Amino acid sequence: MFLSPAILALILVSAVISLMLILASGFAIQVLQKWNINSGSELQLNLERRTYLISTLLIWAFASELISLMLFIYNAESMSGQFVGAMCATGVLNVNEWGWPTLFLKIAIFFSGTIWLALNYLDNKGFDYPLVRVKYLLLLLIVPMVITEFYMQTRYFMEMNPDVITSCCGSLFSVDAKGVASEVSSLTPRQAIIAMYGSGLLLMLSGTWYLLRNKGGLLFSLFGLTAFITAIMSIISYISLYIYEHPHHHCPFCILKSGHDYAGYTLYIPLFLATSLALAAGTISYWKKIPSLNSSVAVYAPKLVYLALIFFNIFYILATWWVWQSNLTMESIWQ
Amino acid sequence: MIEFFRKQAYLIDFTMSSLLRRKGKNFGLLLVYTLIVFMLASVMLFSHSLRKEAGIILQQSPEIIVQRLVAGRHALIPAEYIQKMGRLRGVTSKKGRLWGYFYNPVVKANYTVMAPDHLDLSTTEVIIGAGIARTIGLGIGDYFTMRSNNDTFSFQVKDIIERNSELVTTDLVLISPKAYRVITGIPEGQFTDIVLSVRNPREVRKVAEKLVQKLPDIRPVLREEILRTYDSIFAWRQGIVFVLLIGALLAFVIFAWDKASGLSAEEKREIGILKAVGWESADILHMKFWEGIIISLSAFMLGYLAAYLHVFYSSAVLFESVLKGWATLYPQFKLVPFIDGLQIATLFFFTIFPYVVATIIPIWKASVTDPDAIMR
Amino acid sequence: MFPVIRKSAFVLIFFLTGTLLMMLTVIDAMTKQSSTRDSLNQRAMLVKEFGLSDLALSTEARYTRHLTLADRHSAFQDHPTSFDHFPSGSIFLPPSQLTHD
Repeated sequence: MFLSPAILALILVSAVISLMLILASGFAIQVLQKWNINSGSELQLNLERRTYLISTLLIWAFASELISLMLFIYNAESMSGQFVGAMCATGVLNVNEWGWPTLFLKIAIFFSGTIWLALNYLDNKGFDYPLVRVKYLLLLLIVPMVITEFYMQTRYFMEMNPDVITSCCGSLFSVDAKGVASEVSSLTPRQAIIAMYGSGLLLMLSGTWYLLRNKGGLLFSLFGLTAFITAIMSIISYISLYIYEHPHHHCPFCILKSGHDYAGYTLYIPLFLATSLALAAGTISYWKKIPSLNSSVAVYAPKLVYLALIFFNIFYILATWWVWQSNLTMESIWQ
Repeated sequence: MIEFFRKQAYLIDFTMSSLLRRKGKNFGLLLVYTLIVFMLASVMLFSHSLRKEAGIILQQSPEIIVQRLVAGRHALIPAEYIQKMGRLRGVTSKKGRLWGYFYNPVVKANYTVMAPDHLDLSTTEVIIGAGIARTIGLGIGDYFTMRSNNDTFSFQVKDIIERNSELVTTDLVLISPKAYRVITGIPEGQFTDIVLSVRNPREVRKVAEKLVQKLPDIRPVLREEILRTYDSIFAWRQGIVFVLLIGALLAFVIFAWDKASGLSAEEKREIGILKAVGWESADILHMKFWEGIIISLSAFMLGYLAAYLHVFYSSAVLFESVLKGWATLYPQFKLVPFIDGLQIATLFFFTIFPYVVATIIPIWKASVTDPDAIMR
Repeated sequence: MFPVIRKSAFVLIFFLTGTLLMMLTVIDAMTKQSSTRDSLNQRAMLVKEFGLSDLALSTEARYTRHLTLADRHSAFQDHPTSFDHFPSGSIFLPPSQLTHD
């Protein structure tokens, strides 16, 4: 077990967020059972009042979750000096079996959080809270994720053992190794490029279609998610190679380092932002048939789609630019 | 959009007036809060910079230091061990070193005495670290005495090691190997330890394994282990201080909670009146939100800035002895500041986050109370 | 008469100054890093020249002065069960090679 302020902070934050969400889920169950907007009973009045508290709590919880995701990666990066074999965050995440699941859960919670916040925002626009049940049902689905994350993260830090000789990005993200990471690394650039720009094109088309016809919001979200996955795969498969100017270094974390001009931030920030906007857009657009939300959906959904498209484009432009300005030429790999 | 900003500006105006109406209480809170941020930030900035610096300068320490252990303790190593090691692939040089400690009972200080053979020192000359020169008030040309078990030896101070390297050399005494053997009685053919240079860093581990196989009573200390030790020690020490300060933090959180939940009658009346004149719960929540932001952000900024000045412009006067460890002989050094986002994010989580969490529920309670219940 | 500054403007100015000053600390740190590079290199060269392995943070006990060269028993040098009597021993971790094998 390592005792450092960043680890203490991460555990503390996860614990508090879990506590907040458990509190909120008690309320959610009550809402699901007893909510009746037409009733004037004291219980209903209390519930309505309490929604204020719960939404404020959750806005804070999800915002902290985002910062804790960044802190988690940062911390992994900074601990790489303390393990034999670790050169960057990859090595530290590999120290035991809890590292990667924690990271993936944090990302999943971040995206679910944005969906929930979008839903909540929309719901508050309707005078009769039409989505209140949906929203709290979704919350009940997020709660187990948050608690699992707390559990996994705690075990990850508790079971960190300095004896372990971990493997770092060089061996995990290599073409010859086994496992998902190396499968992704061994995608040929051609496949990765087709996947990334192809899904990008689909995204643009569905976005434009939505803007023109007001249809296909969910499809847009789905393509957003696909674009996110293909983008991450492309970063591992070929964009990182061009940033490192090294034909075999596939690490998705080393690009965050100062030695590579913090290139990673210019890619990850627009990408995460765009994906969460796309998810929010789809979530909102789905409810346009509800009369009390109709006008709000018509205002907000296109805005979100616009923003998502802008940020995705920023990502694609930057990714292309990083590849284009690189000194690496890879004729040998381009079959 | 402009409407939105105008509304927030009015809310801030109002919040500020309301805060200033209870000056004493709010400034008290701000002061305590700033002090907590200041303490945590000082510890953090200090240890982080020290850790960075250690990582950079110890990068030059020897690849392998070979010690001999007798009965679990570090013992002198015979010179023939160098021959016994034989030719090792990748090792470019093998050198016996002579060094040890000397305790000066007069000033109750411990020196590290080294006898390097590449310096051009006569048997009556020494070079001393700046810390020693300061503690016993010596200058170049003065005499420096060391007692062995049967005699006292005097040396002339030939030079003083540069002050800006005190972090690693403050207590060093450099002396000629001949004089050192006479004082300590270490016979020819014995060394304190042996240093190996290895050209390729990848081979260091292999070399160390081979050494232990050949000579079972030795213990190699690798450069990467040195670096790892210093990398983790400062993080650990920061952690310890933070755990200790969590008590203070909790006390503060309880204080903030109490202040937010036990609203004074006056504050309650204020909220009641606001609601009676048409403010909604959301507006009151907004106002209280601004109150929290103003207090916590001010405390964060003031505390952090004060800590920065404290650590890098006054050499952490307040608690440097605790952070550096106890001893009569202190290194005096100006730290090179290193800051990174991890530090600031952690600081944020340790200070602003608990405050927000502690006040959120009381604030909500205040905002949803009925006006008539308060004003009755 | 002085023009009356609105309180919200004051808050805004205060936070902007604070943010600027915080950014200034980062810039200050960077300039100091580059201006002290020489003395940092000098220290590194001394470390190389004399084969130093430790920082001279605490000189009172040999296992805290040369932390990385401490052996397993140095903190119990007087008697196997006697407590470590140097206060600095309590604020140093044992070196990494002793804590894992």
